[in-house]
Amino acid sequence: MADDLNSTYEYPFPMPSEEEVAYSDGAIKGRTPGSPSAYDKGGSTRWTPDAIAEVQALAQLGRYQVRGYNCFNQRMPTFDDLTFVPATMTRLPLEGYRESCDMTTVLGAGTGLVERPLELKIPIYIASMSFGALSASAKAAIGYGASKAGTMTCTGEGGMLEDEREASQKLVYQLTPARYGVDLEHIRKADGLELVVGQGAKPGTGGLLLGMKVVERVSKMRSLPAGVDQRSTVRHPDFLGADDMAVKIEELRIATNYKVPILVKMGATRPRFDVAIAAKAGADIVVLDGAEGGTGASPELLLNHTGIPCLSAIRPARQALEDCGMSDKVSLVVSGGIRTGVDVAKCLALGADAVMIGTAAMIALGCNSPRYEKDYHALGTSPGACHHCHTGMCPVGIATQNKELEKRVNIAAGAERVYRFLTAIAMEVTMLAKACGKSSVHNLEVEDLRALSFEASAFTGVKMAGLDRAFTW
Amino acid sequence: MSEKVIQVGHRDIRIINQEFLEALEAGHSVVVTDTLSRHNLGVGLPRSGKIHFDGSVGYYCGGLNTGTDVRVENNAGWGTGEAMSGGIITVNGYSGMSTGAAMLGGLIHVKGDCGPRCGVAMKAGDIVVEGNLGYQAGFMAHRGRIIALGSAGPSCGDALWEAEVWVAGDIESLGVDAKIVEPEAEEVEGVDALLKQLGLEERFRDWRKIVSEQKLWYFESRDANSWLMI
Repeated sequence: MADDLNSTYEYPFPMPSEEEVAYSDGAIKGRTPGSPSAYDKGGSTRWTPDAIAEVQALAQLGRYQVRGYNCFNQRMPTFDDLTFVPATMTRLPLEGYRESCDMTTVLGAGTGLVERPLELKIPIYIASMSFGALSASAKAAIGYGASKAGTMTCTGEGGMLEDEREASQKLVYQLTPARYGVDLEHIRKADGLELVVGQGAKPGTGGLLLGMKVVERVSKMRSLPAGVDQRSTVRHPDFLGADDMAVKIEELRIATNYKVPILVKMGATRPRFDVAIAAKAGADIVVLDGAEGGTGASPELLLNHTGIPCLSAIRPARQALEDCGMSDKVSLVVSGGIRTGVDVAKCLALGADAVMIGTAAMIALGCNSPRYEKDYHALGTSPGACHHCHTGMCPVGIATQNKELEKRVNIAAGAERVYRFLTAIAMEVTMLAKACGKSSVHNLEVEDLRALSFEASAFTGVKMAGLDRAFTW
Repeated sequence: MSEKVIQVGHRDIRIINQEFLEALEAGHSVVVTDTLSRHNLGVGLPRSGKIHFDGSVGYYCGGLNTGTDVRVENNAGWGTGEAMSGGIITVNGYSGMSTGAAMLGGLIHVKGDCGPRCGVAMKAGDIVVEGNLGYQAGFMAHRGRIIALGSAGPSCGDALWEAEVWVAGDIESLGVDAKIVEPEAEEVEGVDALLKQLGLEERFRDWRKIVSEQKLWYFESRDANSWLMI
């Protein structure tokens, strides 16, 4: 038989003992016969230690898991898959250390309907993070830092906090489906109104704030009982589709006498269609939040397995505006996992008019900083790995409503750190823009980029490095 | 108080609303004619004054009202009085979907029926409906009262927070996490007093008060330590 492997061959020496065969390679006696040492780490590609731990947790809890921070999906492509190709022979670079590069960013002027478009010194502003998710001190520090940098912040869904309004020279007021505390007075105090259709961290779902963070002040602002988990509605209470949204936008314009721009924020899912619909509904600014966007709390499955990456959302969004002839009329802001000026510059090159940062601003303020290490360890984590915003036990006092923890935020020092970070990343953007020969950061373009992977090229349409064409199927 | 008549027709809605504000701030009471069921009539009205829409109105009439007395002669569209914080809105006919959505205070009085999701996400104030309520009345309403002299449609009181839905007629079905409780005599007196104030006939009504069962409130433990394993 062909598969008869029994051998009749005889060695010219005595047959070794079973023990010699098993351990003559120096292995520890008692090792399971034939077990590679890698088996100790788990050899299954499907049932990884993480997958096993998840099943065990679900079996214990009887519900899905919730956590803060952002997407842990390792397969999410990043901006690191793109590189800039600065000016060499075909283009002339600007002097990186001497010549100027304009960063002024105006949002919401294109429709011509708005009396006070948003004029920012830099193409970067602070993303919406609610009071409730963040402490009042953190909100104030971020507001002051952004003001010093000549840019703006956004309230998030928890209503307008006095501390934040005072700190932020420019403040966008969010109208989420839950409409916590939304009234005419606050609407008229805002520099922009943002209708929220969704967010990148958990598109298709409303906000979530666990009871531990719903203290008296948060409860009062949201008109909800203290100490109870707040699961916000996902659909707006008074409009359903795009046609209704157009009427709603008109209502907000009338309420503010056409003074401030109307933003529409959405999670990145089908940007080619969603952005076009928002633009046609009358938005002055469309805010597109990629799947890497952060949050104070979310079912983990939504964080890891919903939405599309910011990287892949920008070009179809820009294309959508061009398709409906609104590229010069409607501003495009993107967000989701933006870490440094390099990421910002790549977003601008791909077609964004401005970029929002959330988690990066928190980190600049002190999130995950190596202080209060005992408190991190008590949470079962360590500085640099903490994602426990949802518990309200933030060791550095940022994502908490605990008064004692909140005292750890030094508003003045925190504001200065946020300001310096914003300045630094803006400087990074200009450095790349000048290297590419641009006298304005808004002149960065897709041609300034090359993709380092097939995926990045396919997602963005950016030419492959070393080739003169994008990857196509 | 002198009366000022403002015609709507097909004129620019922004200009019309400006004229409302100017007239009210000048101390006139306003009568609005030729309303054509236009959307966004009377948005962001001031803390006092009277405005009478002599016809039907579209979406968001009286939206973000802060205290003006608004009267609609015929019917109103979606989101009547949305996010209002004060004043009274009276609709002589029917009112569409999401009447009083996210309202923070004041009173809405609908003499006909109300569409679906009446009082959705309302934070405070009262909505009195002389006719029937559509489906999901009081959906995710935080606080305040919805009072219906007629019947309630399907899923009444769905996912309520601390708001109450009072129904004198039949209830087709309760929503998720809703339950019917017997109102206290003092609470009934409060509702009767409000109805009397609106000129409604004083008589015995078999009230059913719908409140939250609060099961959805505690979907998860409130114990922070239980979250540390994640």
